[in-house]
Amino acid sequence: MNPRSWWRKLGHGSLLLAATVYCVFPIYFMLVQSLKTAQEDVFGNPLIVMNPTLENFAELFEQHGESRGFIGRTLRRSYPVLDWIENTIIVFAGSVAVTLVASLLAAYALGRLRPPGFRWWRRIIFASYVIPHTILFVPLYQVVITLHLENNLLALLAVYPTLALPFCVWILSAYFQHLPRSVEESALVEGASRATAFFRILLPMSRPVIVAAGIFALGTIASDFTLASVFLLDAHNKTIPAGLATMEVALDELLAVAGINLMAIPVVLICAVFARGYVRGLTAAMVEGA
Amino acid sequence: MGRARDIRLAYLLLAPALILLVTALAYPIGWEIWTSLTDLSPLNEGPTAFVGLENYRRLAADPAFWRAATITVVFAAVTCAVKLALGLGLALLLARPFRGRALVFMAIFLPWAYPASVSVIGWYWTLSPPIPTAYSVFMGNMKYAVDSALGGGAWAFLSVTLFNIWRGSSFVGVFLLAGINAIPPELFECAALESKSAWRRFWLVTVPLLKPFLALAVFLALTTAFADLANVWMLTAGRIVYPVIGTHAYWLAIHGGQFGPASALSLALAPFLIAVLFLLFRMFDPPEREPA
Repeated sequence: MNPRSWWRKLGHGSLLLAATVYCVFPIYFMLVQSLKTAQEDVFGNPLIVMNPTLENFAELFEQHGESRGFIGRTLRRSYPVLDWIENTIIVFAGSVAVTLVASLLAAYALGRLRPPGFRWWRRIIFASYVIPHTILFVPLYQVVITLHLENNLLALLAVYPTLALPFCVWILSAYFQHLPRSVEESALVEGASRATAFFRILLPMSRPVIVAAGIFALGTIASDFTLASVFLLDAHNKTIPAGLATMEVALDELLAVAGINLMAIPVVLICAVFARGYVRGLTAAMVEGA
Repeated sequence: MGRARDIRLAYLLLAPALILLVTALAYPIGWEIWTSLTDLSPLNEGPTAFVGLENYRRLAADPAFWRAATITVVFAAVTCAVKLALGLGLALLLARPFRGRALVFMAIFLPWAYPASVSVIGWYWTLSPPIPTAYSVFMGNMKYAVDSALGGGAWAFLSVTLFNIWRGSSFVGVFLLAGINAIPPELFECAALESKSAWRRFWLVTVPLLKPFLALAVFLALTTAFADLANVWMLTAGRIVYPVIGTHAYWLAIHGGQFGPASALSLALAPFLIAVLFLLFRMFDPPEREPA
């Protein structure tokens, strides 16, 4: 082996190491904190955990009455974590489903049926992605009140899909648009309806792109904290992120960190399972369209 | 099967997506444009008056507005540039096969997959610990050093910036990796024969080939920049002293009851966003070839 390529390998390896540490360290740090006892949290080494314990996670689920006793003269509240988990599952699963169905239908219309001006429709829908929801709180809240959805999970089910919809419509329609006409035509010639051709041929073909759209939707929806905490007021109606933000960090820091992991680990696992499909789907959409 | 029927079907299928977008985006924007021209406020007696561009005129005369606008635009521009550079680096690092690539890919995918709604809570409270913990002394010293050099609130603002870069570079990296996969490898191989210098190859081949994907990545990164900012701002009930436009407007509306000026303030970012959109569409949406 000549010395030059040896150096190259070392350089490549250390870059990879640096990239990995940069990406994983904050996550590792949060995981380690959640496994600590209060004693170790204050006096131990911040980077490692000597006596890992799950007691913070267990305490998260303890719900004896309204409080968990006092620290000095300060009341420690208990939190309806089970409700939060249920709400989170409903909202996330529902929003991803709504996003996917609405964007598949729209993408089929724009990519296959191509009504007049379909390029402009696509551009307008995609452009709406850049509008920050942060500047729309006041009118959004009015919409929510008009629909009688204040303090209701349905408010999030109506707003969350729009977070990821523009991007999902874009990649799905780019993919559909550049599939050759012949894909459906043989089925249509044999007398199948458009719906049959869609469900039997187009949908199975586009599975990777649908996976990519779904993971993108999940990641986007799971990163919202602001809308959830603005729209869900009652403690029992909150999703995990909105609920965690109501915890008193000064008293329950370890509990909050455990809550963070409680929400993050399932989402990360789902994303990890589909990670390769995500990249494959994005690539497929980009080859066909972009 | 007639063309007219297809077109009708197309509009029918577009309807659910459009209804969602109109309810959650178009209507609120319309409301804001109208309100920004009035003095609507729950504190006002009597009917709401149409005041024309008065709210905008007052904003333009307010130095605090220009400071908030500058901070917002600089924040967006800086985080986007850094996310793009880091993301491109990560994508190129993963572009060629090597042993353990799957593992490194997973690591790079993690910051985006880890839900920001909760990681932002952990990240923020870790960098500004409210209670004594094993790391709070170190973080406290950092905060002190940064704040005394750059002014109060600088450390908190820096921590949001870092968070956004950390999460965004992961997304851009994975996104550009997908883009690189979409480019036929022959194009890169030809380039390797043409030029020996990796640096020249990067600027003359890789960047132009990736241009549409880079533009798309900017587009996507921009939105998360604002979303992360809002997340932290809500979390700390506005304790971040650096004013930024979107959240400042929310404060003005909810706590000041001044819907008119708040709407004008919210919309002040529009020219910036439209300019960016215009540029990006020109880059990633070239005049389409007619499909055969």
